[in-house]
Amino acid sequence: MEFLELFMPTVWFVILALFLLLYVILDGFDLGVGILSLTSPGEDQRTILMTSLGNVWDANETWLVLMGGALFGAFPLAYGTILKALYGPIYLMILGLILRAVAFEFRENAVNKRPWNLMFGIGSVVVAASQGICLGTVLSGIPTDAAGHFTGSVWIWVNPSSLLVALTLIQGYVLIGSTYLIIKTSGELQRLHVRTARLAAATTLGGALLITFTAPFASEVLRQRLFDPAFLPFFVVLPLLGIALIVQLFRSLALQQEVWPFVYTVLLFILSFAGLGVMVFPAVIPPSVTIFQASSSVSSMVFMLTFIGVLIPIMLFYNIYNYIAFRGKVSVE
Amino acid sequence: MLVQFSPSPFPCLHPGLLCNSLAWSGMASVCLRTPLSSPPTMLATFDVVTLSRLQFALTAIFHMLWPVLSTGLAIFLVVLEAIWLRTRNPLYYRQARFWAKLYVLNFGIGVASGLPMEFQFGTNWAPLSEFAGDFFGAVLGFEGAMAFMLEAGFLGIMLFGWHKVPPVIHFLSTVMVAFGANLSVFWILSANSWLQTPAGGTFSDGHFHVQNYFAAINNPFMVKSVIHMALATVETSMLVVAAISAWSLLRKKAPEFFLFSFKLALVILLAVAPMQILAGHESAVQVAEHQPTKLAAIEALWDDQAAGSSPAWSVLAAPDEASGSNRWSLEVPGAFSWILETRPRLSQPVRGLNSWPADQRPHMVGLLFYAFRVMVAIGLAAAALMALSLLLWWRGGLNAGSFERWRWFSWAWILSAPAGYLAIEAGWVVRCVGRQPWTVYGQLRTADAASVLPVGEVITSLSTFAVLYTFLLIFALYFGSRIIAKGPNLSLEPPSGASALPISTPST
Repeated sequence: MEFLELFMPTVWFVILALFLLLYVILDGFDLGVGILSLTSPGEDQRTILMTSLGNVWDANETWLVLMGGALFGAFPLAYGTILKALYGPIYLMILGLILRAVAFEFRENAVNKRPWNLMFGIGSVVVAASQGICLGTVLSGIPTDAAGHFTGSVWIWVNPSSLLVALTLIQGYVLIGSTYLIIKTSGELQRLHVRTARLAAATTLGGALLITFTAPFASEVLRQRLFDPAFLPFFVVLPLLGIALIVQLFRSLALQQEVWPFVYTVLLFILSFAGLGVMVFPAVIPPSVTIFQASSSVSSMVFMLTFIGVLIPIMLFYNIYNYIAFRGKVSVE
Repeated sequence: MLVQFSPSPFPCLHPGLLCNSLAWSGMASVCLRTPLSSPPTMLATFDVVTLSRLQFALTAIFHMLWPVLSTGLAIFLVVLEAIWLRTRNPLYYRQARFWAKLYVLNFGIGVASGLPMEFQFGTNWAPLSEFAGDFFGAVLGFEGAMAFMLEAGFLGIMLFGWHKVPPVIHFLSTVMVAFGANLSVFWILSANSWLQTPAGGTFSDGHFHVQNYFAAINNPFMVKSVIHMALATVETSMLVVAAISAWSLLRKKAPEFFLFSFKLALVILLAVAPMQILAGHESAVQVAEHQPTKLAAIEALWDDQAAGSSPAWSVLAAPDEASGSNRWSLEVPGAFSWILETRPRLSQPVRGLNSWPADQRPHMVGLLFYAFRVMVAIGLAAAALMALSLLLWWRGGLNAGSFERWRWFSWAWILSAPAGYLAIEAGWVVRCVGRQPWTVYGQLRTADAASVLPVGEVITSLSTFAVLYTFLLIFALYFGSRIIAKGPNLSLEPPSGASALPISTPST
């Protein structure tokens, strides 16, 4: 196999992982704030929560669109097979995203904000849950025929392990959402979210531990990978780093630090992501279809890379500028 | 004009247009050919391909309502902000703020309703994704990275950043939002044009292999289609601004404010509408060149027309697919070649629908025929209204009072906004229903492009979308009308950073 035929799919796998990671972190706190808005003590507080998202939610959601486009372009077979297998949860997610987006705009204009508050919060829960279900289903494997086409049942995504991932992801989003709100709010509202963050950190940790211990039972391939000596260093280093970060997270929450809890949470997300990447690579449709089988032609991947590769730093630049322009506590006009 | 009737062996239960609009995808032939004795059984026609097509049609028609303002109104916002920065007159700042309110309401629904469009290629059209992923996926990826992210990344600053960034950066953000939105038009229309006139590679083993990306992006339909669509979004957006202004002037709300927005929209419209008529004509000419089956369908032309002949042009007709003719038609003798080639006789032969086997050409001829006419009629009527308004303005008659005095005039403008949307939707129906039975013209049949899915799954998602979209449309119109009824905030002060700069005398 030529060098490019090995190299380009790997590059695109990394780019996809980057888009997915950016999405999970950025829209993760959007969704987390959305879920938390259900528990806001009052309308003024909820308005602060919503305002903290006003300038960013749309760009954050765009990383999902980008990931979809990149998966479509770089791994068309995976795009077709995974999305077909996950028809139910994908449509639930889209439904949730639509409800969320319109509730956000309608609430601005509504006198009676209650129905839109509910729609925004429930939409956020639905999105988080369906993303967790998708993630859980993909991790535990999608049955395919020799050509890589989906052969499983319509209800493949209904199982305890994907439910567990879904519940954990909701906790994770609440965690990152509340640490984001610690940065963006002050006073009583900030103290409330310190408490929420502490609780969410504990439940997320519990979920992550459960997933780690049940994963070997859920999938044959994951079991092999976990006990493969070649990957042993990863599975020793990653948990150790994880423990260190969790300790730091609880410490920074106890010390009432503002920015550090968010930073540690983001690092934990990155770490979990690296762990998942190591578990599935080089499969793009776990367990059996690899990135080399599912990729589009080399010329297509090179062409996409020349455009999108240049654009990634530019996109990051103006997204960061957006955050800088709106830095500091939320002020409601 | 002549009216011709030709008898049909099968009486149709419904008038052609109604029948076709009820029977969206692939069902019209069933509907037309069913004798009176046995009414069409809907369930029998609900195969998964039809359902996936219905779902794509529904989500595309609904989605298309929103990018119109996201792209067209963004240009208007750029113009307003540029005028404000130049004159420092707070009136223009308030204009920018008021129209941005409608922009944001519209934008969120556009983003959200765009998601199912992208994901459906995987969920419902996986064979298409595999077939054309090399090119089609790349282009959708570019749209996301170049256009969508640009728009989204600067939208926050444009909407909420007035007091956070310097005026020049704010203006730049508005420009980027408009630029991103219009880049989106470019990529989507390039992708769709590729489905119409695939180019830049070869087809083998059930795959499209790209050989030249630029040739694929710049496929035969691309340039004219992008121009036609970009002009359509600007034109309809300006019709919306003019309609809201006319309504407010009729109601004596903020007359100075809305007279300005009306006149600015009219000026832009007067520049855009003639170009659009030309672009529309050019689009039809390229259809004649590359998609003869579509041309024959939009003209309900059943029989071949030889070069040198001078066929009649049907203004209205009742196409009957069973007999392969029109049951009746209202015709202008000799007009066809004038419209197509602007000359008295055809320079080349034009094929009629009957010259293709039934599985090689579009069905739902009535829908295509009338969708095309609705689009053209609205385009011409809007241009006439603009010309009339210019005449009134030129004769000194256009002021706030004109709108109360001539209620018909106000109402003509108010109705022009929904008409603009209708024209756009009709154009897309012509474009995509007319491409059938192909998804990739001449290469991949729609029946082969759809995923094999359980019928129940698609019925569930389709009916959810139908209910949800109805609900969204009602509330979007409700909240939109509230913003309009409330009107602009005429005491809004521009950001302090800007007013600290020297203020020049406001120009009219």
